[in-house]
Amino acid sequence: MVLVLALGDLHIPHRAPDLPAKFKSMLVPGKIQHIICTGNLCIKEIHDYLKTLCPDLHITRGEYDEETKYPETKTLTIGQFKLGLCHGHQVIPWGDLDSLAMLQRQLDVDILVTGHTHQFTAYKHEGGVVINPGSATGAYSSITYDVNPSFVLMDIDGLRVVVYVYELIDGEVKVDKIDFKKTTTSHSAH
Amino acid sequence: MMLDGTEDEDKFLAAGIAGLQQNSFYMHRALDSNNLRDALKYSAQMLSELRTSKLSPHKYYELYMRAFDQLRKLEMFFEEETRRGCSIIDLYELVQHAGNILPRLYLLCTVGSVYIKSKEAPAKDVLKDLVEMCRGIQHPVRGLFLRSYLSQVSRDKLPDIGSEYEGDADTVADAVEFVIQNFTEMNKLWVRMQHQGPAREKEKREKERSELRDLVGKNLHVLSQIEGVDLDMYKDVVLPRVLEQVVNCKDELAQFYLMDCIIQVFPDEYHLQTLDVLLGAYPQLQASELACFFPFVDIKTILSQLMERLSNYAASSAEVLPEFLQVEAFSKLSNAIGKSYFLIRMLLKRKVYFFTSFSCVFPMIQCLMLLSLCSWIVVIEAQPDMPTVGVVTLYSSLLTFTLHVHPDRLDYADQVLGACVKKLSGKGKIEDNRATKQIVALLSAPLEKYNDIMIALKLSNYPRIMEYLDIPTTKVMATVIIQSIMKNGTRISTSEKVEALFELLKGLIKDSDGIPNNELDEDDFKEEQNSVSRLIQMLYNDDPEEMFKIIDTVRKHILAGGPKRLPFTVPPLVFSSLKLVRQLQGQEENPFGDDASTTPKKIFQLLNQTIETLSGVLAPELALQLYLQCAEAANDCDLEPVAYEFFTQAYILYEEEISDSRAQITAIHLIIGTLQRMHVFGVENRDTLTHKATGYSAKLLKKPDQCRAVYACSHLFWVDDHDNMKDGERVLLCLKRALRIANAAQQMANAARGSTGSVMLFIEILNKYLYFFEKGNLQITVAAIQGLIELIMNEMQSDSTTPDPAADAFLASTMRYIEFQKQKGGTVGEKYEAIKVSHAG
Amino acid sequence: MFEEALCLFTKELTNPIVRMKKENGQMVMVPLFQSHENIVGEVIIEPTNGKKVEHNGVKIELLGQIELYFDRGNFYDFTSLVRELDVPGNLYERKTYPFEFSCVEMPYESYSGINVRLRYILKVTISRNYVNNIVEYMDFIVHNYSPAPLINNSIKMEVGIEECLHIEFEYGKSKYHLKDVIVGKIYFLLVRIKIKTMELEIRRRESTGSGTNTYVETETLSKFELMDGVPVRGESIPVRLFMSPYELTPTYHNINNKFSVKYFINLVLVDEEDRRYFKQQEITVYRLNEKS
Repeated sequence: MVLVLALGDLHIPHRAPDLPAKFKSMLVPGKIQHIICTGNLCIKEIHDYLKTLCPDLHITRGEYDEETKYPETKTLTIGQFKLGLCHGHQVIPWGDLDSLAMLQRQLDVDILVTGHTHQFTAYKHEGGVVINPGSATGAYSSITYDVNPSFVLMDIDGLRVVVYVYELIDGEVKVDKIDFKKTTTSHSAH
Repeated sequence: MMLDGTEDEDKFLAAGIAGLQQNSFYMHRALDSNNLRDALKYSAQMLSELRTSKLSPHKYYELYMRAFDQLRKLEMFFEEETRRGCSIIDLYELVQHAGNILPRLYLLCTVGSVYIKSKEAPAKDVLKDLVEMCRGIQHPVRGLFLRSYLSQVSRDKLPDIGSEYEGDADTVADAVEFVIQNFTEMNKLWVRMQHQGPAREKEKREKERSELRDLVGKNLHVLSQIEGVDLDMYKDVVLPRVLEQVVNCKDELAQFYLMDCIIQVFPDEYHLQTLDVLLGAYPQLQASELACFFPFVDIKTILSQLMERLSNYAASSAEVLPEFLQVEAFSKLSNAIGKSYFLIRMLLKRKVYFFTSFSCVFPMIQCLMLLSLCSWIVVIEAQPDMPTVGVVTLYSSLLTFTLHVHPDRLDYADQVLGACVKKLSGKGKIEDNRATKQIVALLSAPLEKYNDIMIALKLSNYPRIMEYLDIPTTKVMATVIIQSIMKNGTRISTSEKVEALFELLKGLIKDSDGIPNNELDEDDFKEEQNSVSRLIQMLYNDDPEEMFKIIDTVRKHILAGGPKRLPFTVPPLVFSSLKLVRQLQGQEENPFGDDASTTPKKIFQLLNQTIETLSGVLAPELALQLYLQCAEAANDCDLEPVAYEFFTQAYILYEEEISDSRAQITAIHLIIGTLQRMHVFGVENRDTLTHKATGYSAKLLKKPDQCRAVYACSHLFWVDDHDNMKDGERVLLCLKRALRIANAAQQMANAARGSTGSVMLFIEILNKYLYFFEKGNLQITVAAIQGLIELIMNEMQSDSTTPDPAADAFLASTMRYIEFQKQKGGTVGEKYEAIKVSHAG
Repeated sequence: MFEEALCLFTKELTNPIVRMKKENGQMVMVPLFQSHENIVGEVIIEPTNGKKVEHNGVKIELLGQIELYFDRGNFYDFTSLVRELDVPGNLYERKTYPFEFSCVEMPYESYSGINVRLRYILKVTISRNYVNNIVEYMDFIVHNYSPAPLINNSIKMEVGIEECLHIEFEYGKSKYHLKDVIVGKIYFLLVRIKIKTMELEIRRRESTGSGTNTYVETETLSKFELMDGVPVRGESIPVRLFMSPYELTPTYHNINNKFSVKYFINLVLVDEEDRRYFKQQEITVYRLNEKS
């Protein structure tokens, strides 16, 4: 069992002062094996904070990130799953599932995680999964109105991944669970 | 039918006593015949009766006492046995062979007692071993009784001063250590009782616990009886260790009882000498019960006498003041008074019960208050040559004191600050390091006390003191203030308050007196400005009119911040404004035709001017991003000219200021992405903007980037849900143009030999073809797709192409996708059915 | 049926005499030797009732045998020495034959387990024509001693069930002599289950045979209660277990390719629903040469 934290679009300090305190108290060091962050942190302090939660941190570049060395896309393999990471402002139309699916094919990944829209989504698509963890601070977005802070925790176990969505609604953390099973293993075998 | 609990318990007790008696009978027979082996066997069986969990502490005690009597006899037997030549060391081992732990430890304690008496080993070693081994019993009741047995058998064998067990290796410190350790473990077990078992029996457990408290308290009594515990040892070891346990156990019942015990068993003289330690423990206790022990300590007399003497002493001459500073007498005293005041407040809550003590203490505290505030200010003012550090230190202590004693009287606090300002006036900026540190402490005190910057903003003398700080210290103070706001989530909700706050924070907001501070490390500067940026999020009001005023105030201040600060402060302001726009968005424009009311248009105007400050040499990329954000917000407000203006600004920046190729790519993505979402534009404006965007795309530095941007532009001509924005022909034109660029890239790659990547572009374009094909763009034909697939296959098999696993995988997944769509059936499946995929690749 | 002759072994009592359990459960006293000792003694043969005994020779053998119970009837002699005591002839009266096996190599210890027995015997045979040979046995015990090991690491380990129970235990040594004391500590790092007791078991695992014919027997020799009640996080519980009350043998590794005996200490936690959580660790047991 591997726990992967996926989050992004924090936009600190431009659009939010900090992560919600409720989230901070939930995210404790030592529980999470990998963090994948879609970008727009935006400052080094936040990078350093995430690093304290888990040293295995993967970040792609959002357009507001102070650090310009983050890559545009990144792929990594966790257990049986190949994961792809991208901020998403490069995929036009923004948030469009069919266009994200193309990126998923291009990166040849089972799970594609992108951000930018600040809207949590998780789709099962052609045997793979496309996830957007939303904005961890509930930051203002030109695309999405009434953004609730949210992040995603993936529990990867064998051919199964359980996606937990944590959303802060009116000061209360709500958790949702979505279950995905990988059917073919031949997919990314080369 | 419910069984009667007590009746049941009587039965269990009777059974336990019977078992105990039977085994003690056999034990006695073995003792009489000097049969050690049987004696151990039956005593262990007898003690096994104490393993029961079925009895309440009360009944268990009865059983324990019977076992205790038998153990005394066994102990005598062991003593005789050693006199008969049996080695005590062997005996000490032998009893440890017992398989069950509880009987084993009772026997061990019993033999241990004989062991110490034999003096074959230092008493401390045996005691240490016993107290350590008893850890095996974690069951609260059984553990308490076992340790109480240990305490009982060891009482007369402690290596106390003058005791026969004192020696080179054994000192009174060992005796104290042993008793404290046993006490600590017993208290932990006792406290733990509360948390075990079902919640509904809480009351019953509480009652049972009270029944057991003397077992724990007995240890403190033992400590007080140790001859060797003199004042020094009490002060240095006993009290701190005992208090540590009392505080850490976090249990009201235990704290109340044990504090009472401490007061009762140790002499008054010790309490007087350790007053601050004892006082220091109060605030750490679970508050509600602590006032109960108050009557036992005569705090009022001690404090008032001390206070009077110190005040007189301080007023008598200027020379003695440094002495006070050195021993921190004022802070100690005000601390102590603060705490006793706290006690008084506790007493107030329980006024009926403690009426007598309350009535005499309260006036005294009042007197102290007046005495201290007035007389201290007089005392301090009477010292003209006092160094600044001394002045500030005194006022800082005094302020702490005032805040503690009179949290509801802000005027007192302001009075202290005012006195301090008066004293500092004419001294210019303070440069003494120690003094500035004290000022920071002075100014931090109200923040720490109230956790609310709003209180500090009410203190009129607060900003006046900040005038005396040098630049670095002003910044430190500003950081302290911001941290307090962030920590407490304080929302600053009026423009006046924002104004007052920015006055306090000006050290961070702008360069002082127009002198840029270049000494600062860049990272420190960033951190500082980021904290300002965070702060701007906290300036907020739900009322749009007030919010607009806040934005205007913030804007005024940050625009004075100079070019280095703007990239940090402008974005949060822009987003605060955009949030306000969104709030106003649903509302009718100017319902009463009132020009003064806030409208999106007015905000956009302000935004345009604000962002403009970023363009030019500063941060054109950031400005472009913010312009696009505004454009989209204007789009949502249906303000076409405004949106067009923002786009125009963004385009100007793109053309004139953004030269880095990577920055260009990001900018193009954002331009296309935003433009794709705009629905406010009429045909003409839209055409102008899309035409330019396509033009920029085709002019990017590298061919692959050109290609990607151009095919992204195809989406500008085909927007789902907007039928008037579906121009299949221009989509195709874009894709064809992308293909041409890909071809050119391919040729360049061939020329360069070994470069890869252009096949990737073809596959990407193929995917775009499929995308629009699926969306129903009739310009995209099966033949075109088919042709593209063949082209890709040929490319990949061509000798000049370097193998590219990423392209292989992409193609494979694209082919799988086509298959997948075919199998979907329905209209999509039918469409895809026409595409023939050769499996040659 | 009467034996025609009586054989007796005598030996000066320089070697200790120890108790040994015979197959029928009876306890007998037998001499104790160690490897490379001289085994010296006398055989006395006395014809019963003064009758003449005609024989084809008298011999004494020293045998070291491994007997696997599931393979009954088959003994594996790993040591076999013989001394001729008499040439063929007749015996009329009591006769004493001294014998000596010097510096006998006896690499393995006597052992009597569940599925296997390793024994040393002296066997006297009076060979005869036409009638059965007269055979007499005598058991003796062999113990071999080892010095204290130079390296004796502690056993230290963290185990747990995620989110439920996390403990760390430490035993001072991994090698113990037969009369040793197991000293250690159990630290509770996380306790979310209601523990009732904690025990330390010494377990013996005897494995015999090889391949598919391996027989493994595990016995729990001690059940020693270490703790009573529910500990809280941060508590540490002492361990002190004297090994002398238990009938242990040294650890035997693959004796003559026939059998092994291993020892384990097993930490068992029992919760209020009597579920058992345990962690087993192998220890090495050796026979300490107390003289050195």
